[in-house]
Amino acid sequence: MTEPMPEFSRQGFEGMRRRLEELLSSAGRPLTFMEVCGTHTVSIFRSGLRSLLPDGLRLLSGPGCPVCVTDQSEIDMALALAEKGCLVLTYGDMMRVPGSSGSLLDLKGRGARVEVVTSAIQSVDIARSCPDSQVVFLGVGFETTAPATAVTLKQALLHDLPNFSVLSLHKTVPPILRALSSNPALNIDGFILPGNVTVVAGIEDYVFLTDELRKAAAVAGFQPEEILAALVDLSSQVASNRFCLRVFRARETPRGGNPVARKILWEVFEPCDTRWRGLGRVPASGCRIGRAYKRFDAAERFGLFGLLPAPARDNGCRCGDVLSGLLTPPECELYGTACTPLTPVGPCMVSGEGTCGAWRRYHP
Amino acid sequence: MSAPDGRRVTTGHGSGGRLTQQLTRRILDLFNFQIEDSNLQIKDPNLQIEDSNLQIEDSNFQTEDSNFQVRDLNFQMEDCAFIGEGMAVSTDGFTVFPHDFPGGDIGKLAVCGSANDLAVRGVRPQFLTLALIIEEGLALADLDRYMQSAAQVAREGGIRLVAGDTKVVPRGAADKLFVTTCAIGKRESPHILQTSNLRDGDVLILSTSPGRHGAALAAARFGLEAPGLVSDCALLWRTLRPLWDFNGLRCMRDCTRGGLGTVLCEWAEASSLGIEIEETAIPSCREVDAVCDILGLDRLYLASEGCVLAAVAPEDGMECLASLRRSPAGRDAAVIGRVVAAHPGMVGMKTPIGGQRFVDMPAGEILPRIC
Repeated sequence: MTEPMPEFSRQGFEGMRRRLEELLSSAGRPLTFMEVCGTHTVSIFRSGLRSLLPDGLRLLSGPGCPVCVTDQSEIDMALALAEKGCLVLTYGDMMRVPGSSGSLLDLKGRGARVEVVTSAIQSVDIARSCPDSQVVFLGVGFETTAPATAVTLKQALLHDLPNFSVLSLHKTVPPILRALSSNPALNIDGFILPGNVTVVAGIEDYVFLTDELRKAAAVAGFQPEEILAALVDLSSQVASNRFCLRVFRARETPRGGNPVARKILWEVFEPCDTRWRGLGRVPASGCRIGRAYKRFDAAERFGLFGLLPAPARDNGCRCGDVLSGLLTPPECELYGTACTPLTPVGPCMVSGEGTCGAWRRYHP
Repeated sequence: MSAPDGRRVTTGHGSGGRLTQQLTRRILDLFNFQIEDSNLQIKDPNLQIEDSNLQIEDSNFQTEDSNFQVRDLNFQMEDCAFIGEGMAVSTDGFTVFPHDFPGGDIGKLAVCGSANDLAVRGVRPQFLTLALIIEEGLALADLDRYMQSAAQVAREGGIRLVAGDTKVVPRGAADKLFVTTCAIGKRESPHILQTSNLRDGDVLILSTSPGRHGAALAAARFGLEAPGLVSDCALLWRTLRPLWDFNGLRCMRDCTRGGLGTVLCEWAEASSLGIEIEETAIPSCREVDAVCDILGLDRLYLASEGCVLAAVAPEDGMECLASLRRSPAGRDAAVIGRVVAAHPGMVGMKTPIGGQRFVDMPAGEILPRIC
């Protein structure tokens, strides 16, 4: 069930911190919460919130950095497109993610055509201005960014663009949270969900966490006050053994999300099984381009489904364990020695919102 | 493997962070030799190499990394080099995209960039050399415009063009126009301003809000409309001149590529002292914050072209600040932190909510995020 937004700011920052301390000491055991989204991870470090949190609270970073969870086989498909001479358009932080033979940035350094865009819709304009090139947009991100790709595909259909396609690597968050919740090794007491979920997807998709799985859960904005308020609420959910999904955002947001965006998303895409880096195949967690838009599917157009995924190298990288919260970055043997932001072994160190990168940058 | 496969130059090598340090070191290592006759006289008596402690720099060579044991080498990573008789030289190449941006263009930038590298070391820029690499097909009207803005800023700064070169390369071999400048001038500060002057307790003053140049470029590159956002690109020597006379002035650095965060990290590493700054004390610009929010960038790492960090002995701190604030480019100047003995080599930051975190040097190219 869900409740209206509580007034979390009344106590002020210090008041909330003290309340959290009380709840934790009365809990009688350490509590483990997972912040699902990479933007939360970065905010917790960057704001200095981590340095102010009481003992007895364990924060795990979850699989909510779209860059980090993109599987090596998916990066390999993007690299294959660039190698085939396509003009590959991508959001910036995908550039450095390692596939089995380098990254998009490496390929660009060798002359491949890879460009950064900041919105999906730009790629339609680029395709129209480069009629002699096959232009491919890498659709990466969760249900918050996938609608923008859906709109782009609608535009492609409208303009009947023969030289445009999308490689959809989009994923949805609820299925992976279900998978993580049922992992006994993790023992997660609750989840902090990203605030932009409520703006686009709405929170109904996440109510199963509290109502069905009986985990604490709260949606929070990205400000440290909002995150702290969510942590207080999660702790009191655990203490009272009553689980209820609330929203902690200073800005009023529609609870049902953006119905237009949701509608467009599932008009264009359909759910499919997909691979998450280090976590394996998760049922119904991907967004495949649906039948009406199939001719804009880069994987079909360029025969990428036939590509056999290169075997993941056993290089000691434990990003999968970090992404599922089994490990904090310093517990990985490679962290800070073999794996640094300059010589990243895994994607969690590459991305600006990756867990290992955030630990390394703000907590050396 | 990602970013550095180690065999090729990537754009990350040009970002001003760690990779740039490594590239610079790779080149400088080749030049790390003693000149046999340390009294070597070059024909022109004004161009005497002072001693074998050749000080090299431009903003491209402003870094140091403890991995490279810079202190074992003779190169000092400063903004410009002193080459005898108080004369100083700096050089810099400019490849900005887009060539025109709110608040300036590549011509203005090329003059300001090299001249400012002198000014932060107490040197008044007097002479300039200018080398152009022009892509075949560049509109002459564009070239005129860029050179007019270079000439105008040189005139305003009292800087004389004394040598130059032009090359035209085939279409595709350059992006419209690359400019390399070299600025030469005479030191007017009574003592040499250098990173090794830093002492425990020094006050850190920032002359204005950081990141306006980088944010203006990012907005232009990614098609964001940011009304009111203008690059801070400007000649600084008149703003900084009043500071040169303070005995307590230790060193200054303009926060160009790599931004304020990189300068702070370099100072901490080079001095083996710690730095503590306070986030709320850093002057802020609403438009920069907005661009950072949208693109997921950090103002600490965005380039400035008119923002200077100065380290001053505590007894002169307030007077230096007041003096900076009297000039238009420094009216938002603020004390943002201090040099401390704790956590040597590291930069700590007190956050607005009273937390603590470290500030690290960016590793590679700074890329906008997905969501």
